[in-house]
Amino acid sequence: MIPRTRWEVVVVGAGPAGLAAACAAHDAGSRVALVEREARAGGILKQCIHDGFGVVRFKEKLTGPEYAHRFLMMAEERGLAVHRETFLLSARRENGRFVLVLESAGQGVFEYETPALVLATGCRERTDRQVSIQGDRPAGIYTAGLAQHFVNVQGRLPGRRAVILGSGDIGLIMARRLTLEGVEVAGVYEVKSEPSGLTRNLRQCLEDFDIPLHLSTTVTEVHGKNRVEAVTVARVDGSMRPIDGTEQRIACDTLIVSVGLIPENETAASLGVPLDPVTKGPFVAQDMMTLVPGVFSCGNALQVNDLVDYVSETGETAGRAAAAWAKKTEKDEVGEASRDPRRLIAVRAGEGVASVVPQFLDAGGERRAPVFFRVKQTMRQGTVCLARTDGGSQVHRRRHLVLRPPEMERFELDLSRLPEGTAEVRLDLAPVEAKRAGAEGSVEEPRKAVGP
Amino acid sequence: MTRLSSLRSALDRKGYREVAVREWRSSVVLEGSLPSWNDRVAAGFVAAGFKYKGVVNDLEVPGLARDRWSEPSLRDGALEGAHFDVVIIGGGIIGASIARELTRYDLSVALLEKQSDLAMHTSGRNDGMIHDGFGARPGTLKARYNVRGNRLWTEDARELGIELKRPGSLVLYPSPAAHLLRPLLSKRARANGVDGWEFWSREKVAREEPALFPEQHGALFLPSAGVVSPYKAVVAYAESAVLNGARVSLDTLVSGFDQEQEADRTRIARVRTNRGTCFARAVVNAAGNWADVVAGLADDRFFSLHPRRGTDAILDLSTGAFLKHIVSMPSFLQSRSRTKGGGLVKTVEGNVLVGPTARELPGREDYATTRGELEELNRHLRLNTRLSPSQIITYFAGVRPCTWEEDFIVERSQQVANLVHAAGIQSPGLASAPAIARDVAALCVDLLSESRQVRPNPRFEPRRQAPTSLGQLSLEERSALIAAHPAYGRVVCRCEQVSEGELVDALHSPIPVSSLDSMKRRTRTGMGRCHGGFCTPRVMEIIARERGIPLEEVTKKGEGSRLLEGPEEPADPPATAPQGEEVSS
Ligand SMILES: Cc1cc2nc3c(=O)[nH]c(=O)nc-3n(C[C@H](O)[C@H](O)[C@H](O)COP(=O)(O)OP(=O)(O)OC[C@H]3O[C@@H](n4cnc5c(N)ncnc54)[C@H](O)[C@@H]3O)c2cc1C
Ligand SMILES: Cc1cc2nc3c(=O)[nH]c(=O)nc-3n(C[C@H](O)[C@H](O)[C@H](O)COP(=O)(O)OP(=O)(O)OC[C@H]3O[C@@H](n4cnc5c(N)ncnc54)[C@H](O)[C@@H]3O)c2cc1C
Repeated sequence: MIPRTRWEVVVVGAGPAGLAAACAAHDAGSRVALVEREARAGGILKQCIHDGFGVVRFKEKLTGPEYAHRFLMMAEERGLAVHRETFLLSARRENGRFVLVLESAGQGVFEYETPALVLATGCRERTDRQVSIQGDRPAGIYTAGLAQHFVNVQGRLPGRRAVILGSGDIGLIMARRLTLEGVEVAGVYEVKSEPSGLTRNLRQCLEDFDIPLHLSTTVTEVHGKNRVEAVTVARVDGSMRPIDGTEQRIACDTLIVSVGLIPENETAASLGVPLDPVTKGPFVAQDMMTLVPGVFSCGNALQVNDLVDYVSETGETAGRAAAAWAKKTEKDEVGEASRDPRRLIAVRAGEGVASVVPQFLDAGGERRAPVFFRVKQTMRQGTVCLARTDGGSQVHRRRHLVLRPPEMERFELDLSRLPEGTAEVRLDLAPVEAKRAGAEGSVEEPRKAVGP
Repeated sequence: MTRLSSLRSALDRKGYREVAVREWRSSVVLEGSLPSWNDRVAAGFVAAGFKYKGVVNDLEVPGLARDRWSEPSLRDGALEGAHFDVVIIGGGIIGASIARELTRYDLSVALLEKQSDLAMHTSGRNDGMIHDGFGARPGTLKARYNVRGNRLWTEDARELGIELKRPGSLVLYPSPAAHLLRPLLSKRARANGVDGWEFWSREKVAREEPALFPEQHGALFLPSAGVVSPYKAVVAYAESAVLNGARVSLDTLVSGFDQEQEADRTRIARVRTNRGTCFARAVVNAAGNWADVVAGLADDRFFSLHPRRGTDAILDLSTGAFLKHIVSMPSFLQSRSRTKGGGLVKTVEGNVLVGPTARELPGREDYATTRGELEELNRHLRLNTRLSPSQIITYFAGVRPCTWEEDFIVERSQQVANLVHAAGIQSPGLASAPAIARDVAALCVDLLSESRQVRPNPRFEPRRQAPTSLGQLSLEERSALIAAHPAYGRVVCRCEQVSEGELVDALHSPIPVSSLDSMKRRTRTGMGRCHGGFCTPRVMEIIARERGIPLEEVTKKGEGSRLLEGPEEPADPPATAPQGEEVSS
């Protein structure tokens, strides 16, 4: 027999999202288990030793490990144990509850049963194969996160002369980190016509170190039988296809790929949780509950975040809601609760908007709902507007000086402003008409450059 | 007209006047130069139509340097003066299965491989399919060995603990009229001796393989087609050989032979390697893409090989749910076509594999992939409505060693009294391996019996204990194992769920290897969707710890492929060069 323990809330993943969720669920009175497969809690923050974490929440610029430490202390104060080196083998539904099959060196295989499951599993990196880099397969090709682990955790250098593909924040931060460690960074290449990282990082990580950034250019091929000897870079056309004749060979022994993150949702998918094809995370309402009642999602598993403060915020929301759900379904032994009690209003990404989270609003739920969104293209002087799809009243409207795809935006919605019977709302972005620009009331400050 | 002059005029008609042809022993030799690789290939195929024993294509292409094998830099005397009954050259599926067959006899057997691990070339870069034998042209060695090999795989897989699945292969009709070809298809299946075949209506196909594209027209179903993990199979054969007394020497390049004249023939007395010169009573050439070059070292190059590259893509594990059988849609009309055209295969691990392509290209060890070849694979993806290029997690290329006659060579040398060739083993070489191995072993026994009686090995143990794989255990068994050995409870590779215990086992297996890629081949660490993004540091730490080496000496695939910067790698003498693994039991 596989031993089984019952919990009110189980949180999977002890990164900043999971730690926040576990603390919040505990504070709401639940018996919580927090499981983490690694030997140390903190998630990816453990290796992010640069500063800029926590500006929103703590009004301080902490390093990743410092930020994680604050949450670890919070967990400790509450007597919350992290079940470390505990691996989730599989999850299934049983009578409206969830049974997790787990494994650890100390306990072997065991099961946790819970009515409320919070998935805070973070994300993984896209690899060189997912951006179709061709050529040889030597040593010396690393994702940025792997290189970051080598340098910041193991204290080793991945090579002597590196080319970085991708201008996202992790790539930019690695460009600086490697330079500081004496690795020559030959250049950062970005397939898009705009950099993907935050402006602050472009300045502080590239410009300050004279590292060239090549836009609309990609790495097409790797050369070298055993160790990377060079890469071929080429300019790309409007549809991001390499342009023949623009190839250039760049000598290097290391290629760092920083080409995006993918939320890890294999467990969610195995439980039948529907995923948003854009964010690659589950569809959720403002309580962070997915469309499978009892399963919650937060942090980078929900969507790729650029600010850890928002990660903690969604974690707390999920933890609180999970505790409430556990209480509500306490006496339910037959799985009645697997029916979704929420009255869901769909939130659509409209004109110019790439993604919105939450994708649903529970009309009977929490009144104040933070809404996160990303735009498709950079826009200066734009108005963001949330309104009923059928042309009804606007619930939110705000002007922005500049909106950029890499930066996730957040606003708070007051659900009481939603008219009764609303079925769907849509978030649209429109340029501010020239004549009216400046005429309207307050213009939002451009977001402070914070976080990495 | 003589055969040579017919060939001459055939080449002239093609416009290949600058090609010089001459007969040499029973073969024909092409010399001179042609403007492009394609011309060189075309000329080779023209010559193959004239029924010589072999075509030796020595045509050069201006600007193209001679292709060279990769060599280990290690120099030591590990094999110096050693005596073996049989030396096998090449640690692919062919060499490894032959080694294991030979340990059934009371013989000293050595398997020499120039790379730092087995299966680093073609045998580790293929589709893993155990073909049914329908695809091979009737009357060829390929057809014969394929069908026999397919049957023998059941026994070998059972004894060696190799996971073998037989999902069967669906060959989709390319047009509604194709069912008219049924009598022809049956005739071919019968001629090859294929084990069972059925014709499935489009309704049956739709029922049995629901995710297939709806416009299909029915299929030929071949139930005997199967899949194995090809690199794990090579390791299994070689481990069994080692456990039965054979010696596997890695990082060992055969660079020449010392031969003695013997009446009208020669005999190999000694085999020269970078690790010393050893004595051999019999030599087996299983050198894959270099088998013609190795034959040349013994002055027996009666054939030549042309590399044909194939590219495959692997899709995310989740795609396995959408495919039950091996599926392809070849054009039946191209019965003489040189490849089976590729398709969709569900690997033993459950990922969908797409491919392979087929391209004549010069590099015998050139595994570079190209965008164009990858895009070619989309036509197979379209066969299944649930598959798309966005599910690709990785892709790779392999090179088939092809003779111009496009058939296997499995025979004793006509020139060298104690040399046996297992050459030109292109697809379906993996499927055929168990049968080829038995025949080659029998040929070796024959030739060794000429000087001394060969007895069975009384201690031969056919079974090999497969390495512990947690995924194969029940949860209770798993728990019990972890209680006894906690390292099995520490998962290192999250995507493929591989534990530290399994890695440690692989590092202490009968053929201990220590590169990141060799760990992949044995345990699948880093082969999942994150592709090593998370587990690489842990795997490296475990390798370093178990081997007692500094972290920076861990390599991706042997010599010259260090993953981290460390103290300079001294060029000479190679104090930090890979330790040639030397194994014997
Ligand atoms: C390689 C990489 C580098 C990054 N660098 C930066 C940076 O420099 N600056 C920045 O602001 N942001 C960075 N980010 C973004 C950063 O991840 C987020 O800001 C934030 O840390 C996400 O928190 P999280 O808790 O959602 O996920 P994570 O921090 O990823 O935590 C998830 C945790 O869940 C655990 N887990 C996952 N699945 C399971 C399971 N099945 N069983 C048990 N445990 C599990 C993981 O081991 C991990 O500890 C980076 C992300 C990655 C992937
Ligand atoms: C893309 C692709 C897909 C395929 N799919 C299938 C399939 O699904 N089913 C199937 O049956 N077949 C398939 N094949 C064919 C199959 O892979 C080969 O037939 C088989 O692997 C050949 O094995 P081998 O041992 O002869 O060659 P190899 O595996 O190449 O082994 C030869 C070894 O000899 C070593 N060597 C060479 N020269 C020397 C020397 N001088 N000294 C020491 N060592 C030396 C090499 O390093 C090499 O390791 C496929 C091939 C390709 C390329």
